[in-house]
Amino acid sequence: MKRLTIIAAVAAAFAATGAYAQSGPIKIGVVTPLTGTYAGIGQQVKWGIEMAVKEINDKGGILGRKVETIYEDEEANPNVAVQKAEKLFQVSKVDFLTGTVNSGSTLAVGQVAERNARLAATTVSFSDAITGDKCSPNMFRVNAKAGMQSAALAEWMVKEKPNASVYYLGPDYEMGRSTVAAFKAAAEAKGAKSVGEVYAPLDNKDYSPFFGQIRAARPQVLYTSVAGNDTVRFLSQLSEFGLAKQMQIVGAAGSVTAQNMGAIGKAAEGYVTGAAYSGEIDTPANKKFVADFKAAWKADPDLYGVDSYGVMYFYKAAAEKAGTTDTDKLRTAMRGLEWQTPQGKKTMRAGDHQAIQDMYAVKVVNGKFQIISKVPGEAAVGADTCTKF
Amino acid sequence: MNELIETLQFVYAPQVVNGLAIGVAVILMALGLTIIFGLLDVINMAHGEFYALGAYLGITLVAKGVSFWVCLALVPVVMAGIGYATERMLIQRVFHTKDRHILTLLLTFGLAIIAEDVFKLAYGPNPYKPDSPIPGASELLGVILPNYRLFLIAAGTAIIVAVWIVVYRTSLGAMVRAAAFDRHMASSLGVPVERVYAGTFAFGVALAGLSGVLLAPIYSVFPTMGKDFILMAFSVVIVGGMGSIKGAVIAGLVLTQIQSISSLYISPVWSDPLVFGIMVLFLMVRPQGLAGRLGHG
Amino acid sequence: MAEAAILRNAVEATERIARGGRNLLAGIFVAIALAFAVFAGMTGDTFFFRLATEALIFAGLALSVDLLLGYTGLLSLGQALFFGFGAYVSGLVLKNVAPSFWAAIGITLAATLLVGTIAGIISIRARGVYFALITFGLAQVAFKVVFNTREIGGSDGIIGIPQIRAEFGLFSVDTQSPAGFFLLTLAFMMLLYAGCAYLVQTPAGRLLVAIRTNESRVPFLGYSPWRAKLFAFVAAAVVAALSGSLYPMLRGLVSPELLAFQISGNAVIMVVIGGVGTLAGAFYGSAILTMLKSVIGTFTEYHLIVIGALFMLSVIFFPKGLAGYALPRLERWVARRRGRA
Repeated sequence: MKRLTIIAAVAAAFAATGAYAQSGPIKIGVVTPLTGTYAGIGQQVKWGIEMAVKEINDKGGILGRKVETIYEDEEANPNVAVQKAEKLFQVSKVDFLTGTVNSGSTLAVGQVAERNARLAATTVSFSDAITGDKCSPNMFRVNAKAGMQSAALAEWMVKEKPNASVYYLGPDYEMGRSTVAAFKAAAEAKGAKSVGEVYAPLDNKDYSPFFGQIRAARPQVLYTSVAGNDTVRFLSQLSEFGLAKQMQIVGAAGSVTAQNMGAIGKAAEGYVTGAAYSGEIDTPANKKFVADFKAAWKADPDLYGVDSYGVMYFYKAAAEKAGTTDTDKLRTAMRGLEWQTPQGKKTMRAGDHQAIQDMYAVKVVNGKFQIISKVPGEAAVGADTCTKF
Repeated sequence: MNELIETLQFVYAPQVVNGLAIGVAVILMALGLTIIFGLLDVINMAHGEFYALGAYLGITLVAKGVSFWVCLALVPVVMAGIGYATERMLIQRVFHTKDRHILTLLLTFGLAIIAEDVFKLAYGPNPYKPDSPIPGASELLGVILPNYRLFLIAAGTAIIVAVWIVVYRTSLGAMVRAAAFDRHMASSLGVPVERVYAGTFAFGVALAGLSGVLLAPIYSVFPTMGKDFILMAFSVVIVGGMGSIKGAVIAGLVLTQIQSISSLYISPVWSDPLVFGIMVLFLMVRPQGLAGRLGHG
Repeated sequence: MAEAAILRNAVEATERIARGGRNLLAGIFVAIALAFAVFAGMTGDTFFFRLATEALIFAGLALSVDLLLGYTGLLSLGQALFFGFGAYVSGLVLKNVAPSFWAAIGITLAATLLVGTIAGIISIRARGVYFALITFGLAQVAFKVVFNTREIGGSDGIIGIPQIRAEFGLFSVDTQSPAGFFLLTLAFMMLLYAGCAYLVQTPAGRLLVAIRTNESRVPFLGYSPWRAKLFAFVAAAVVAALSGSLYPMLRGLVSPELLAFQISGNAVIMVVIGGVGTLAGAFYGSAILTMLKSVIGTFTEYHLIVIGALFMLSVIFFPKGLAGYALPRLERWVARRRGRA
């Protein structure tokens, strides 16, 4: 009985918590990899967000409140991401969470957001499941998912390499499986032949043991979705072993970006991907964004930088539409929201929380992402498969 | 027929040669580990961190303008000093207690934890990829292999042979083997056992450091680099027989070839559990490993 | 005969005092934990409550390491294997079979008896450092297999494990209530502690101590050291797995890292700092480690340097750890009270 009363007393003390502040600064928690193989991606996320926050605060903030950011290192590890997210929600009491890169982290953080009754958005994660069968009412995605990238890339491949034999190498986790599955389906639907697939652990240092199966399969096209420093090692080693020139290398939008292209060097030339962004997009909004970004950080923005910049304007637009930062009202406002980004207009689909945006096939020519074709957002996004809400 | 030859040439040959490079690298790590165990009965849990320290010393010196080739000679000397000090100041503290097996294991484990964080503090958490000292690739029978990996095979083999000569063909090695066989007898015959112990530990640590410098251009340098490799080295030492140099060489070559060839048929991510499974099997049915330990034939 | 009786009485009295000291140490821990709960409850905290709950869960793992190391002299470097196994079984049961506390605990227990026996038969063939290496190797194989198996989530682990209410007839506890689940975990861990404390003073438990002292003499006493060691191994596996089974209830997810060497290594550190061979020391070790991490963590992320140094100092200068230091004092106190009574 004694224990019962203690439980009751302590539980009562708890019922009082849960209300978040509606005044003072709006706190945005950013859980993103600051170390490890995805540290470069986290850097772009941070740059994009910082730039947007500065612009927003200079113009008076959101709903008259200043925006404040708190960063935590995700280490591209779902376990770590969950603990950091809990800390941000429960100790720092953030209003909104973003920044997760690893798709597994994004899925796990979505669950944490649900249990803490807050909203979160990813600006980087590719896995289709995030806005598909593992969708969460508290998670939004402003960047393009694997399926959308694949649509644009497969469209290009059917023209340039009809009926090609394709080998797939992805990182061995949620994102790798999802990107390969998405591109495989899109490529096979357009007549390509799959000759094998293999998955390497995240943060793999030596890819040479994986080359045996690639040599044996002799593909015409090699698709990869490794990212960050992994791509640097993978593509460098491919060319060291003389394999790079034997096939056309294509891949996910995040594999080769402005962020890691310098480190990859010549091995990146000729790489083709389907992406929602290229620094070469010829609009005044993008030109201004690229110039401002370069002035602020002395580096080119990539898709992570631009999407992380965009998410702050997404939040701003939703909060101003809802007139509050209350979770439920904000969620309603975010659904179906249209907002402007350097990539153009994006629409947040209400049914699965996936942003719809135009997709491009881009090719690395002389260290720049040259746009070679375009697929409209509605055609690329595919059907809404989320059934949870 | 032609197709078979082509498969052998373009699929198997590069896999075998690349496996050889990895094998030599693993043997270099395993040698130090097995020599330390053979003589001192110490399971050096910090061996991977000594390897990392060697690599970090290497990139620091190269950044200061020292040539890579000078580093190959310089780093092992520095590491030997560090190893000697570690043995005298740490291992000896618990060496004469009843639970020394477990206590030395725990001490080196503690050292490993500290070292990993010290690397993070000093160099940051992100990996460095040093430039290859021998860039480019060579074509052998139509197969392209990076020059540095070929160099690694040659240099590693030379080091392994040198270690073998030191241990089995010099009076220094004879003292070590005598001390490993019977400490008290060796001592009464005038072998300075204490110094032989510290010297052997230093030698093992120097080998780890040398591996670090040699492997950095392939595997990059980062705080947890020791952990990735040490498991493989442990498997080699156990399968080869704790304390056996010959066993480590054989096991190192066999296990890495198993990994390399099996990677053609199963996903390479399963090659690690395969090798660890073989290690567990050996511990179960033949804990003495393939060959007897140092000083025992 | 009278002399023998006197001797036996003296031995039993000493043992009672030792037991009294150990239980007092555990009792003090519970008092501290309850004081923390009241304080945290009044300040309306969530985060530190859940952190403390996690520390308790890992203390259970450390308890199992101490059962092996402190009483049988077997150093396990792979105890995370059973901790992770328990977490995965519990998580899978909660998600796919029934969201029930008792189903998760029961199935974990049954599955661990089986897996623990198999692993035990493999492991206890090896002695001394070879035992340490074989447990290390087994855990690595298990880690890699879980990491590579997509059917159980692979490297991503399993998310979406539902929150549940643990039913106890008179009342129930929501696993998402920070205070409720903390108290439930505390009670659960004290049950595990009591089980271990009971075990080591049964005849089988005393045999373990005899094995630790001199294994080769045990067969001459007419006992099988093999059976006793297997018994200890399985018991430790069960304690580790049951502790692990609470993890998914707290976090709502499991991941392969739970089987990683880091978890096994941390448990060894907790036991050494807390006190080998004291059982209750595992709880202090876990609490100290968690506190160090979060206190030092606010100044610098390099907390491992401090923990590693503390660990090495313990090994060299205080091989009996914190509890080993406190126990003789507590025992003297217990003896004085008994003497007065």
